[in-house]
Amino acid sequence: MIRLEDVTKSYMTLNGRYVVFRNLSLDVPEGVNVGLIGRNGAGKSTLMRLVSAVDLPDSGRIVTKGRLSWPVGLKGGMQKNLTGRDNVKFVCRIQGVRRSGMQEKIDYVREFADIGDHFDKPVSTYSSGMQARLAFGTSMAFDFDYYLIDEVMAVGDAEFKSKSRKVFRERMQNSKIVLVSHNMKLIRRMCDMVVLLDQGRAKTYKNVDKGIAAYKRAGGEP
Amino acid sequence: MSPPATRSAFKIQRDVIYALLLRELSSRFGKSRGGFIWVLVEPIAHVLVPMAIFGYIRNRMVPGVEFPVFLVYGILPFLLFKAICLQIVNGVNSSQGLLSYRQVHLLDVFVAKAMAYAVIQAVVFALVLTGLALFGFDVLPGRPVEFAGVLALTVILAFGVGLVLAALASLIPDARSIITVMFMPLYFVSGVLFPTSRFPDEVVRWMAVNPVLHLVELSRVTAVHGFEPMKYLSLNYVLVLVLVTTIIGLMLYRLRYLTRVTP
Repeated sequence: MIRLEDVTKSYMTLNGRYVVFRNLSLDVPEGVNVGLIGRNGAGKSTLMRLVSAVDLPDSGRIVTKGRLSWPVGLKGGMQKNLTGRDNVKFVCRIQGVRRSGMQEKIDYVREFADIGDHFDKPVSTYSSGMQARLAFGTSMAFDFDYYLIDEVMAVGDAEFKSKSRKVFRERMQNSKIVLVSHNMKLIRRMCDMVVLLDQGRAKTYKNVDKGIAAYKRAGGEP
Repeated sequence: MSPPATRSAFKIQRDVIYALLLRELSSRFGKSRGGFIWVLVEPIAHVLVPMAIFGYIRNRMVPGVEFPVFLVYGILPFLLFKAICLQIVNGVNSSQGLLSYRQVHLLDVFVAKAMAYAVIQAVVFALVLTGLALFGFDVLPGRPVEFAGVLALTVILAFGVGLVLAALASLIPDARSIITVMFMPLYFVSGVLFPTSRFPDEVVRWMAVNPVLHLVELSRVTAVHGFEPMKYLSLNYVLVLVLVTTIIGLMLYRLRYLTRVTP
């Protein structure tokens, strides 16, 4: 369950305060896969950060139940000057996984990401596709009730996409997903409801197709 | 694939600081040797360069005290203070990636950075002191426990001042570069190079406003045999400043004044 009550969030920039949401309320019932859609700058990533408690709202309340992953995205999370392996170790340590458990996770991620020798090279040398594989693989190594996935599933080659979809489908027997994507095919395939963010407001659609249609009317890419 | 059991808040924070500490050390030394060499070069240069310049008068410089030993015990608290302050000021921007994990808070990052730096500086100075001992200098601190206390105070003061400066850097766009540059003049008014006895009394009275000068002198008082401190030296002054800056710094942190400056 994810519920936002009257949430306002703004950022201070050099050009003054920029308000992302004003009095946003939102209710995602238990056991539902959510697609989060909206145009660039609509606040999708900000909403993910708020839900995962990485960032705090100016006012209002965010209530979640269950274990939520960190926002798995293309940017952030991975530390560029460390190797893929050291990044996985870091995540294990902050999640309280030590010793044999850690080795198990490392093996899992190395196999899942399938980036060969690059696993032991600094992330700064990775292509964006390799970074996405590592980030996605790392989140898949841990059990969460909700996976917060920001675009990463849409990258990578066809083989990786089909593999991650397969793993994800297994995982979705027990876990749910909050998926940010501009890929409507992916949203249609993975999600049971969509939340459309537009001009600081959130609109919930129980019917995915209706939500996507509204998104297109709001000026989104198909 | 079993999920980690629910941990207490204390245990989470301990795990996080441990992970950050390892990350800090491995990203500094891990893959390249260059990292460690630079860490060594800086303090050694701070000892060798003044020695080369003032070598010919070194015995008259500080009466009754050997100049290299005098230098080492002055430069140690100064570099420790500078490094931790700057790590915190720059850490707000450079740690944003780490904060995408909900367990990791900015303050944990700062604590880990301060710990990492304290450990690194301790090792480096043990090496420098060993080097001096090989040349026949009497380097061991005279009152080791009190000396360790002075270093601990230095770390805490740097932490508090770092938090306050980081808040300033978040509020004023250009403050960060000014803060970095300010450490140069601070070096000269902290008594690292010259003993305060070489300055007239009216000047020293004003210099004594600077807590780093007190820390430098306290370090020498506890470590260097026969060192005469300035008459304005006051442990209480340092203690009060440690308390005040730490409280203000933590308050600013709690009120979320330490934010990334959006370009």
